[in-house]
Amino acid sequence: MKKFLKTLIPFDIAKGLSITGTYFAKVFLTANRAKVKQHVVSEYPEVPAPLEPRFRGRVQLILDEAGDPKCVCCNACAKACPTGVITIEGGKKEGRKTRIPTRWDYEMERCVFCGFCVEACSFDAIKLNSQFELAAYDREDFSLGLTGAHNVLEPSPVGKFSYSDEA
Amino acid sequence: MFKHQEMEINMGPQHPSTHGVMRLKLKLDGEVVTECRPMIGYLHRGVEKICENKSFAQGQIWSDRLDYCSAVANNLGWAEACEKLMGITVPRKAQYVRTLLAEFNRLASHLIWLATHALDIGAMTVFLYAFREREDILDINEAYCGSRLTTTAFRIGGIPQELPEGFEQKVRTFLAKFPSCIEEYEGLLNENRIWKKRTIGVGLLSAEDAIALGVTGPVLRGAGVAYDIRKAFPYAAYSEMQFDIPTKPEADTYARYLVRMEEMRQSVRIIQQCMDGLPEGPIMAKIPKLLKSEVNEVYHATEAPKGEIGYYLVGEKGGAAPYRFHVRAPGFMNLQSLPKMVEGSLIADVIASIGTLDVVLGEIDR
Repeated sequence: MKKFLKTLIPFDIAKGLSITGTYFAKVFLTANRAKVKQHVVSEYPEVPAPLEPRFRGRVQLILDEAGDPKCVCCNACAKACPTGVITIEGGKKEGRKTRIPTRWDYEMERCVFCGFCVEACSFDAIKLNSQFELAAYDREDFSLGLTGAHNVLEPSPVGKFSYSDEA
Repeated sequence: MFKHQEMEINMGPQHPSTHGVMRLKLKLDGEVVTECRPMIGYLHRGVEKICENKSFAQGQIWSDRLDYCSAVANNLGWAEACEKLMGITVPRKAQYVRTLLAEFNRLASHLIWLATHALDIGAMTVFLYAFREREDILDINEAYCGSRLTTTAFRIGGIPQELPEGFEQKVRTFLAKFPSCIEEYEGLLNENRIWKKRTIGVGLLSAEDAIALGVTGPVLRGAGVAYDIRKAFPYAAYSEMQFDIPTKPEADTYARYLVRMEEMRQSVRIIQQCMDGLPEGPIMAKIPKLLKSEVNEVYHATEAPKGEIGYYLVGEKGGAAPYRFHVRAPGFMNLQSLPKMVEGSLIADVIASIGTLDVVLGEIDR
């Protein structure tokens, strides 16, 4: 008899509905009123995603006071890289004791963003910046060098494939 | 007039409930499955061979990509296997942080299991709730190492960096909130009649069969065998932690569900202990810059969220890379029990059985 009643009256369903109903009521009643929003969904493309300071984005070279890359072409990062995306060639510049890169190629399409290159660098010449909206239409756009619109010295131009500069 | 014949169909590799690119060859007699053969290999990347050509430190990024839902647990296994090969002792603080992050990863993996398993069976609300909490765990991952999914969280000999500022605050907030969230999931599912009808008595796998097939993890514990590597062969800081191994003797899908829910509670307990007893000290052992192995052969098993993940490494003298590398993936062994579970049952129960095994094809195909 008890089992029959249990089948007839859906207590179990009611329990689940009360949980979802509580959430609905909370959001519905506090809409536009509560100081802290009850929403858990972030409106990502319109509102930029908050990033942690340690976020591992794409590789960027750091410049010194003179505006030259700090890199001394020791190739430690290229050796540490698990997928071999870094190619460096060194040259000389007058008035600079260390070598200066004449070529610093970074194949972003194969990069796994592990950060081993930054750990290997003993000159603080390289960092992983906070860019993650890296989609592009052409494969060539992933080949970053020292010069050109996409280069490893500056953050990539944001806008063409990103929403974060809108609004 | 009517001919009675068996029908052979392919389920997957594009079927949404096969969790990736798994293909099942099913032989059906009406709605009853008479034969089931899992076909794997669609995601084969040759991870073992790649790692044999990379240095020990570099190999870790491929362990991220084995079981991409539990990257930290795989990192832990890889780092500890390499340390065992080279005889490195890890500082105590690093051990604690490793334990802490591995348990967070267990929560994240179990949440994604709960979400997709419930979604397969038809409970969509749980999916949304579970992903809400998983997001917090991924944020903690991001705060610690800068990446959310492919973490590369540890280094051979310790951990790469100290815990960031505000990390403890984040963890404490999560721990205060999470137990009530588990109650929510259970409130939605535990007594739900549809959930119970779809899971109780479905996908039966006896303890004898489970042991014979090499099944580990929650599937084995759901069959009543209290085997957990964290207790049987303690690694990292697990020997100093207080926790229980939940088991259920029913050996069906519902029992495995209950085991995993209880495991999440135990993980919260372990994280709490790690956070309270976090020792001070160095985070990295003294290791040479270029790691070289001796002639040695090790097998190191750790308890990943899905079961026993083992790394088998053979080192040669002065070698910078493993001479031979093999992964004992929990998903691969667990998947073998699928034919045993589904043969003779209805086709709708195949979905529930795949869900309860918690397969991730990244580690099965490797």
